[in-house]
Amino acid sequence: MLTRPPVEDRVQESLSGSLTAPGPVTVNRDSFRFAVFGDPQLNSNYETGLDRFGPEVAARDIDFLCVLGDFTHDAVPDQLDTIKLRLGRIGVPFYTTIGNHEMYQAGGWDWYKANFGPSCYAVIIAGRIKLIFLDTADGTIGPTQFDWLETQLADSAHPRFVLTHFPVFDGERPVQWRLASDAERAKVQSLLAKYGAYAWCAGHTHGLRHLKVSSVQHFTCGAMAPGKLDYGNPGYLLFTFAHDSLAWEFVELD
Amino acid sequence: MSRLGVLLALLAAAGQAAVVPAVVIGYRFEPGVESKMLAALTANIEPVPLLRVDAGLSFNFFQNSGLGGAEFGLGGVLYKPAGLVFRLDVQHQQWKDWRAGENRLLALLEAGPVLGLDAGIGLVRRVPVFGDDYWSPYVWKGDASEWNYQYRLRWRFIQKENWWLRAGLSTYDRFNVHTPQQLPLEADGAYKFADKLELVARAGTAIVGYSCGLISFHEVEFGAGVKYAF
Repeated sequence: MLTRPPVEDRVQESLSGSLTAPGPVTVNRDSFRFAVFGDPQLNSNYETGLDRFGPEVAARDIDFLCVLGDFTHDAVPDQLDTIKLRLGRIGVPFYTTIGNHEMYQAGGWDWYKANFGPSCYAVIIAGRIKLIFLDTADGTIGPTQFDWLETQLADSAHPRFVLTHFPVFDGERPVQWRLASDAERAKVQSLLAKYGAYAWCAGHTHGLRHLKVSSVQHFTCGAMAPGKLDYGNPGYLLFTFAHDSLAWEFVELD
Repeated sequence: MSRLGVLLALLAAAGQAAVVPAVVIGYRFEPGVESKMLAALTANIEPVPLLRVDAGLSFNFFQNSGLGGAEFGLGGVLYKPAGLVFRLDVQHQQWKDWRAGENRLLALLEAGPVLGLDAGIGLVRRVPVFGDDYWSPYVWKGDASEWNYQYRLRWRFIQKENWWLRAGLSTYDRFNVHTPQQLPLEADGAYKFADKLELVARAGTAIVGYSCGLISFHEVEFGAGVKYAF
């Protein structure tokens, strides 16, 4: 990628140990809920759909969030600092991964790693599920991250969720916004199926979509961007873990 | 299809059909995804005027080794002076080690070459297939199925008596169909070194582009071989 550190460089830095990954949040190990969405995309007027999400946390007893990149539209420092503040105000812990909008400015990666840490990392929640955060901000995965992903998926002690910015598949009439290469998609899907991953959760496309390919759930988790969205209303994906079972639902904020 | 192949071979042998087979050896690299040698056998056949048939097999070596793809196409010439052809093309591609495959049906309208330019536009129905049936060309349903648009615009910018060079964009070829998110660039050429015998070569890449003009270079593929016109 021109003038930006490409995914391979970001991943190597993320896995070098020089960046501190967020640790596991504390939840009731028999019953917890978490919300997943992408693209708060705070704009130059400091607007974001995130403000509409705040009341959901208390109403639905959400324990933590996963935010799948594109925090702001332009990635200028003022916008980035504002969105971090607003995420903090929601009042529950959150995990993040990087989106392509973070790379709009030359200093985007520097800001991201200074504020959120590595762009790829894994965390086990309450000994129950494993969240694998992947850097797909370039629309591709890269050699080091592919190897790392396979290692993470091979550890089958817990249901594994891959959380990242780009979808792998995007429905019957796809827009352009998913992993680009046919061969890359075939390889990713084969790894997910081989190791029995539970789900690939993505943002990027501003809508709620669900596909099941082989045994793997593919979610486009909704967006919290401001204004009217390209592919539906703002929304999020809500996972509930209770009594050793997992359930999911889309929540649309119309 | 095998009966059709035998018929076309007999027509060629009898001098009743124009048959142009080719053998190409190549290499494909995509960072983190695959690195493999390729061998492709293809044939273009014109069994009767205004009908074009093409078929091919490709093989992978060193990764996903074995059959890599198969293709069969039928084209009808709509307007000969402009080289206007309507084509239907069936492709099967597979990655053996990953137990993954993809079946595709392309409908294309192609034109040219006119003043060295050739163009194409169309749609592809792609059906990824995973697991036990990855090898099957008969699976045409699946949750990951999708429609993609396709396009081609190439310019033969050097045309000499014994050789030519061409460059341009093409989202599809015999064994690959790119997605709308890829911008595929290619250059190819040929050198006629004996009567009816040509050395051919091709190099291609795909730029992955997304919003705000951020781009990255992705796959690289090149190959060279010989083509013979019966």
